[in-house]
This record gives sequence, structure tokens and C-alpha cells, in this order.
Amino acid sequence: MTDQIVEKVAVQTEESRNQGRRAFLKGTAAVAGGVMFTKAASAAEGAGYDPKKAVAPYAGKEEITEVLQDGAARKSLGFGVRKYPYGMPSPYEKEVQRRTLEWLTPDSMASITMTPLQSLHGIITPNGLHFERFHGGVPTINPDDHRLVIHGLVERPLIFTMDDLKRFPSVSRIHFVECPANGAMEWKGVQLNSVQWTHGMMSCVEYTGVRLSDLLKEAGIKPEGKWIIPEGADAAGLTRSIPLEIAMDDCFVAYAQNGEALRREQGYPIRLVVPGCEANMWVKYLRRIQVHDVPAQHREETSKYTELMPDGTAQRFSWYMEPNSVITYPSPDFKMQGPGKYFVRGLAWSGRGKVAHVDVSFDGGKNWKEAHFTSPVLDKAWTRFEVEWDWDGSEAFLMSRVTDETGYVQPPMPQMRQLEGTNNVYHRTAMVTWRVHAWEDGKNGGMIENVQY
Amino acid sequence: MFSTKKTLVAATVATLFAGSANAMSGSSDGSAGEKINGKYAANYAEIIREADGKYLDAKVIEAILGKDAAHGRDGLEGKLDPANPYSFEVDDSIDGGNHGNAQCKVPAAFVEVHDSVAKNYYNDNFTAYGFGTPIAEDALKVWNIVVDGDGKGLPDPSVGMTVEEGGKLYVQYCGMCHGEFGEGAKGYLPLAVDETLVTSSFDDPAPMKTVGNYWPYAVTLFDYIRRTMPFWTPNAPFIGDAGYMGMVGYILQSNYVKIDDEGNELEDDTFFNSELLMKMNKYMKNQGNYFCDHRPVIHNERCMSNCPDYMVGDGKGDIHNYRQARRLPDGTPQYNVPQRLHEDPPGVGHAGM
Repeated sequence: MTDQIVEKVAVQTEESRNQGRRAFLKGTAAVAGGVMFTKAASAAEGAGYDPKKAVAPYAGKEEITEVLQDGAARKSLGFGVRKYPYGMPSPYEKEVQRRTLEWLTPDSMASITMTPLQSLHGIITPNGLHFERFHGGVPTINPDDHRLVIHGLVERPLIFTMDDLKRFPSVSRIHFVECPANGAMEWKGVQLNSVQWTHGMMSCVEYTGVRLSDLLKEAGIKPEGKWIIPEGADAAGLTRSIPLEIAMDDCFVAYAQNGEALRREQGYPIRLVVPGCEANMWVKYLRRIQVHDVPAQHREETSKYTELMPDGTAQRFSWYMEPNSVITYPSPDFKMQGPGKYFVRGLAWSGRGKVAHVDVSFDGGKNWKEAHFTSPVLDKAWTRFEVEWDWDGSEAFLMSRVTDETGYVQPPMPQMRQLEGTNNVYHRTAMVTWRVHAWEDGKNGGMIENVQY
Repeated sequence: MFSTKKTLVAATVATLFAGSANAMSGSSDGSAGEKINGKYAANYAEIIREADGKYLDAKVIEAILGKDAAHGRDGLEGKLDPANPYSFEVDDSIDGGNHGNAQCKVPAAFVEVHDSVAKNYYNDNFTAYGFGTPIAEDALKVWNIVVDGDGKGLPDPSVGMTVEEGGKLYVQYCGMCHGEFGEGAKGYLPLAVDETLVTSSFDDPAPMKTVGNYWPYAVTLFDYIRRTMPFWTPNAPFIGDAGYMGMVGYILQSNYVKIDDEGNELEDDTFFNSELLMKMNKYMKNQGNYFCDHRPVIHNERCMSNCPDYMVGDGKGDIHNYRQARRLPDGTPQYNVPQRLHEDPPGVGHAGM
């Protein structure tokens, strides 16, 4: 009885290694250095950890016999403290960069870079890899000189210094921020072969700031104030009209990103955070919030960021980012290493709340397997999923499909194209497909190809 | 199809507000079967709460809107009715005129958003922390450059210049990037190319969207140009409000925007000012063609195995009918070239982007 529920696990002495498993379990002799823990041991032969069985897959593989030598790192001192007062990634990570496609925009001041999603892990984007989107270049603003004004339909127009803002109760939250043009290049078909290009116009970081609802209430918002018009202090002076329902829901004015001040590229010293909504609403270099009775109908909500439908009509005020997901490994950035087991990983997110399920298909959408989450599941944030796959080496079509907590299920591309056409530009949030070429003894190079249905 | 919008608009907004207010206080005014406008379940908030807040679940939407109103293009058009709990439209969202400043709202069915707003705002007994400093509106006259869709914020009608003078400024400061006649240059998009926006084939090139064929408001053209142009030094004093007004006149003339019901257009010697701009607001060609975001209108079930053809592959069940990237002259896809040519060995690694 006791020997069935109490298992003694020893450090692997020569003696214990030579014992049969059963003999080991039954042996009552004290084992030097043994660790004891209780466990419902199975009576079945072979159950539980068996080191011999565990390493079985390596049987027959050639063993390295050459003696390993110490490298330079072991034989000399490394650099001292404060060599880099602000730490930088290893030079071996130099390929992990924000990148742009030169043909997308005619200049670099009104342009975009994409985050290298294929090289990221977990759900946090490092500040230096956060995607960039500017409409008039990046200003370098002295926070001592920067001010935020709240005025318009308020009882008491107010101006705040950055220190004033930091006196308010703070909130820290992890959210994704996504340009609605993420994936825009692929409405008419595929033309890019990296997750960086297909989905990199987004990032996910921890923001700290002041609740916008607190700031608006502080200024005494009047009942006729139904919209806010946030505006930047940069050359673009970007404006969007945001309905009060969204402003008072969960927006905040952020001064920090991943624990440090915002980067200039992301709006230093302050930006608006509009969780789950189009990134162009997250006005950077925020200097003014005008409370208004009607929307401003400005360029970035009429001429741009509206979606042309096949019948010539256009959708406007498309605030929320639809749920979306992508497999980041394996993806076209990688090559298959031959048939066998893979842990398929990716990101899922929803502008309307938490991710509820992610399912992965290996056969173009016919059958699906539910993935599990390897990260916290947070509101309007990236969620990391993973699912085990035994690849037999034949051609496969990988897709991921998110279901969010509102019950919305991510659609396949043909459905979205049929409804919205191909000239929409924004919000291309249907599934993508990675075609894994048949292995055929490596003759296809392990190629993973972005294809579109 | 969107002219029907005016007839769809009914006095239902009050019903909607009443509905959400009741939902917040936990009571319900919708006995089972009661309908808003005879179409939508009045107890939508209750239905959503009973379904754990899954307001975009296909079955929940069907229970509230009915089967036909829930899907595809029908679902899209159904949401033109502001009384539809899933509609982003509001009662005054009638386009056209001087100027139905078309508004959109967060749909009533997004109950969690409205609950959150009630908590953070309407029901919050807030007193200011006093950390800010009061400022006079007058102190913001340089910063406040917003001109809204109603024309609020435009300069006085005495501020302006002839279209010809505006054209000269345009050529001097804008032509190098946008073309002397708004035809575009150096990769910058044109301002005045007239193309149909209707798609006959999805494979055709995307239509060029310009002021004439796409912009719904003329007044915010003034806002945008003054706000952001010339690109290297926006809101330039050497152009001034009069100059910006003249440029707007020239761009509207280049786009053949009408100035009256008779179809007259701007002449070179027309003095262009905010009055004329407001008048022309109503003749923008595309302004009746905008509607609020009505997504989502695809409500799939979460199918796990043997899924129906419309969810599989090309939408007809064929997983081998896919589009690939453009081809190199040798017929192979243009990307992953080193791997394909076996310059890089197979194996996990970045593909050299």
C-alpha cells in the first residue's frame, strides 16, 4: 500500500541506475541523498518517468565524440558595469529590427515600420521594436515644456503639466495597439513572405497613465459634450473624433510604456491609449482634447481610415479592431526541419475583449484542433497560443482562428472578400494560410509559403 | 440604396436609451416577444446577459435581430436602421445638406461598454482633484485650429482670395508633390482624378480616392491643409488663412465640384471664402455614400471537424485552389529566393528579410 503511494526518487547513483524500475520502487533501503514526495503512483508497468524510455527517440542517432573546448567567453573577462548605461540587445540579435517596405510610402516622415513578430516571444513587445507610424515625422519634445489642455464643452478648461498628470491616480494595463492597415497589402492576394510584413503593424506593451475619464470629469464635461477631439503637438497635428462612450470606457493618457517613459516614436511625452481601437485614434504627442458636440469629420476619419466597399459606398468610424490571430511559428520566416513534432505557436487578440479560444487547422480549414494559451489571457491584449503538431512531411495548410469572449469567430478570407471586396485597405482581419511544402527528403527546402484562399 | 436611410430613421433613439438605462439598473422593460420597431427583441440586453455577455455570438444575434437581418450584405444593410441594437448609426446620420454632420455611436448591444461608461461617468460622484490649472478659452486661439464638419472654426468670410491666386500658391507650395492640377507626383497620391469607386471585378486595380470622388466634406479640406501643409512646415504664416482658403478653392475647382443646383463651377476670378466653402460642402460628389461601421456581419459557428465547404479552403471546399505571390521569370514565387535556390540550407532560421 505504502509503496504504491510513496515514491522515493534518488539522485542517480550507479546502483539505482542499474536497478529495474520495479525493484527500485520496492526497495526500502535508504538511498543516499534521496528526495521524498508523495504521488499517486500507478500500479501499471511502465507508468511514470522512465529515463530509458524518455531518451528512446535518440536511439541510433550519431553521437558527438569530439571534446568540447572552451570558447573566448570562458577564457577572458567580459565587459564591466555601465559599459552600456542603457542596455542593448546582443549584437547577434541585430537582424531583429523594425523594418519597412520602401514602396509603401513616398517618404520616411509619413511612413510605417513593422514589428518583427516572428522573433518575439510572449506577449510584450520591447520598446525598441514597437512598430512606428508617423504622419509628420517624430518630434523631440521637452516634457517640461509640454502641456495637455482639456477644453471645449467643459465647465472649467484646464491645462496640465506632465507632473500634474503623474499626480493623478495611475493605471497600468497591457494592450495591443494595431494600425487598421495591418495586412492591407494582401487584400488582392499575397505578396509578402514574413509575419513582420503581414501582421507587424502592431505591438503589445504595458502602458501606465491617467484614466481619461478622470481627466474629463476633472474639467467638468458638459452634458452636450458627446465627442472628444484629441490632437497631437507634432507636425501632423493628428486629430480623430472619439465618441464619449469610448472615451469614458477604458481610455487613458499614457506617459509610460513597459515601465519607462514612452519612446519618442510612440508619442513622448504622452499619448492617448484607446484599448481595442484603431491605432490612429491613439493620438501621440497629445497636447489638446477638445470636448465637442459633433465629430470633426477630419481627414483621418473621412478620406483615410474609411473602408471602400465593392458597391462604391464606404464605412466610416470603424473604431474597433476585429479579433485576429496569426501563427508565428512555423511561418514563412522559418523553414521546416523535417517531419516530426512541432509546437505551433502564434498570437491572438481582440479589440472587444479577451480571447476565448484559438483553433488551428492543418488542412486548410476542414478540421481544427484547439490550442492552449501559454501567456496570461488579458483584455484587448495579445494572447500567446501553442498547439502540438505531428508533421508527417506531407503538404499542409496551416491556419489559426480566434474566437473572442463576445462569441465572434474569425472568418476565412473568401467570406470577407465576398462581403467587403478588395479595395477596402483597412481591417483585413480574416485568416491567413501558411502552406507547408511537402518535405520529400528536403528537396523543397522546408519551405513555408504565404498563400491566400 | 442609401437614400432609404432617411425613411429608416424613426423616433427610436429614445427607446434605445430607455432600454440601456433599464438594463443598467438591472430591470427589464422587454417582456418576451416584445419588439423594437416590430423587428428587434426589446429585451436584447437580457438576452446578451443570459448568454454570458456574448453579444456577437451567432445565436445571440439571431435571437435579437432574427435570422435574415443577421448575416452578410443583408446584415450590413439592416444596420442602417439606428433602432437596430447592433447599429452604429444615430438618428441624425442623414447625409447631405449643410450639413447633417453624420454621427455614429457605439451600438446599444455592446452592453459592456455602456455599463462601463455608466460606472466611470454617469453614476460616478466625482469631485476634482484640483491638480490642473484653469485656462481661458482665449488663451487657446493659436492652438485651437479645429474646423468641424459643420464649418465651425472657419475664418470670417472676408478672409480669402480668388481661385486663380489660390492656384498660384498651390503651384508654388503643393504642385511638386501633388501635381499642378492635382494629378499627383513623386509617389504622392493625386488630389483630383475622377474614377468610379464601384468595383466590377475584384482583380481590377484599386480606384484612386481623391477629393472629388471620395472626400465627403469640403470644409475639413481647409482644416487638413492648414493643419498639415506644406508638409515641411505646416500652418505656415506666409500662406495664412487667406492663402489656405485660396488653395482649397483651387483644389475644389480642379475636382469640378459644383457651387449651386444649376451646376455652375468656380471661375478663376471667383473670390473664394468660407461662405462659398460651406455652400460647396453640399455638392461633394461622394457625401451620400458613407455609412457607419457595421461590422461584424459574418457570424460563423466555431466548427471543429469536417467543417462545411464555405469555411474550407477557397470557400468551396477546395484547399488546393489558393493564390500565390507574384512569379519570377522562371515561374517560381518571388520570395524565399535563397532557400529555394538552395543557397541557404533547410532549417529553422530567419529567412533573411
